[in-house]
Amino acid sequence: MNAGDEHCHNVSLYLDNELRDRELEDFRAHLAHCADCQSQLEEEQALADLLHRSRPLYRASDELRARVIAAQDVSVSGHAPERLHRRVLRLLKQSRGASEFTFPWRAVATIAFVFVLGMVFVPTIARRARAASYVDTALTTHRSYLDGKLPLEINSESPEEVTAWFAGKVPFDFRLPTSQLLPNDQPAYRQVGARLVNYGSSYAALVTFAMKNDQISLLVASSKSAEVYGGEEIVSRGLTFHYQTKAGFNVITWTTHGLTYALVSSLHTSASRSCLVCHQNMADKGEFSEQ
Amino acid sequence: MSLTPEGSPAVEAAAGIEHIDGLFSYALVLTRNRSEAEDLVQETYVRAIRAMGRLRTGSNIKSWLFTILRNIWFNQLRQRRTAKVIALDEEESAVDFADTAKDPYAFYVSKVEHQQVREAIQQLPVDFREVILLREFEELSYQEIATILDCPAGTVMSRLARARTKLRTLLSAAFEASNFARKEVME
Repeated sequence: MNAGDEHCHNVSLYLDNELRDRELEDFRAHLAHCADCQSQLEEEQALADLLHRSRPLYRASDELRARVIAAQDVSVSGHAPERLHRRVLRLLKQSRGASEFTFPWRAVATIAFVFVLGMVFVPTIARRARAASYVDTALTTHRSYLDGKLPLEINSESPEEVTAWFAGKVPFDFRLPTSQLLPNDQPAYRQVGARLVNYGSSYAALVTFAMKNDQISLLVASSKSAEVYGGEEIVSRGLTFHYQTKAGFNVITWTTHGLTYALVSSLHTSASRSCLVCHQNMADKGEFSEQ
Repeated sequence: MSLTPEGSPAVEAAAGIEHIDGLFSYALVLTRNRSEAEDLVQETYVRAIRAMGRLRTGSNIKSWLFTILRNIWFNQLRQRRTAKVIALDEEESAVDFADTAKDPYAFYVSKVEHQQVREAIQQLPVDFREVILLREFEELSYQEIATILDCPAGTVMSRLARARTKLRTLLSAAFEASNFARKEVME
């Protein structure tokens, strides 16, 4: 392999975050002056972007999520008797094909059990599954943004500009609040920009902000496809915010006016303080109460 | 995802649900059949729950789940002796236009692009489909993929390069259409 081939090979490694330390530095230095590698990088990045826009490749159905979560709930809650646990596991095994049932009464019993399980658990489980899915999407999006894999499509500190940019691009009416700061106020955060992201079979709006050393992202989708559930609940002005820490990030979700919001940050602060990202003018007013 | 010192394996197992879309995609990439893919994902979680007690702190649950899924599938294939390849269900192949947006054209572009990507990936040989899914969609490292596929990291690297070349060719029309359409939408 000659030096040229080696660098071509490194383009893929670079895009895949497989270069470290000295190799990474060397390749960056080479890339700055090599038109061939720049061109190859651009080509490979285009393919990666196209594939990343198609995430997830497929989505598991709510029914499948509910079945899996039901099994996990029984397994991890510690409240469910072992016998029920075994029964659910057996049910999951058996429900995969009617051909496995030799005697009709077993099928009838299983169907009855599924029905009872569904009546009791599935509505809540399905809601939890949709909520978990939205939080996961927000986290994945935030991580991709931090890793530089999700470049912004508009860079602007103006809420009005970003609102105008989203008009007609997302299947809902989304407006960022205009700044309430007085001319001499020092904002706690700065809006960076925005982009569209795929969510389910539609688009969601991603708006990003920066604080001193932290990046914050806000994912907004229609409440028809995104739900909120669980976590620590914080009530403010009639809205209920759901706060949770997941995979090292703070995630706050809430729903209002037909939209569902997920704010993701790595701020080392309490839930209430995290809310002040969007409500910094309430900092001294004790507007938030934790339940 | 790895276990944290304060997180018990059981609690982390519940969080494993976040990988369900990825596992389902991987299952569809392997089986090309929705019903079989759902069964495969279900069986994966069932086995994971059972084996959770034996999982060591610090284990990579995501890779572990994908490994379980792959092992189950290839065991099933061995039992059947021949792989059954069935076309994807109608609902997976069809573009769903029911969910209308304010800008139907932008929505259409996104749908078509997604469908082209799915179809192109499904045209690849199974070895290529796997590495593309695990790297581009699940963002696993070469070493993690190598562990799941039970092969050297160098094999992952070369397979990935060939898969991307093939995929780029299959998607060349999509690139042109996508670039054109996205420009139109943005303007």
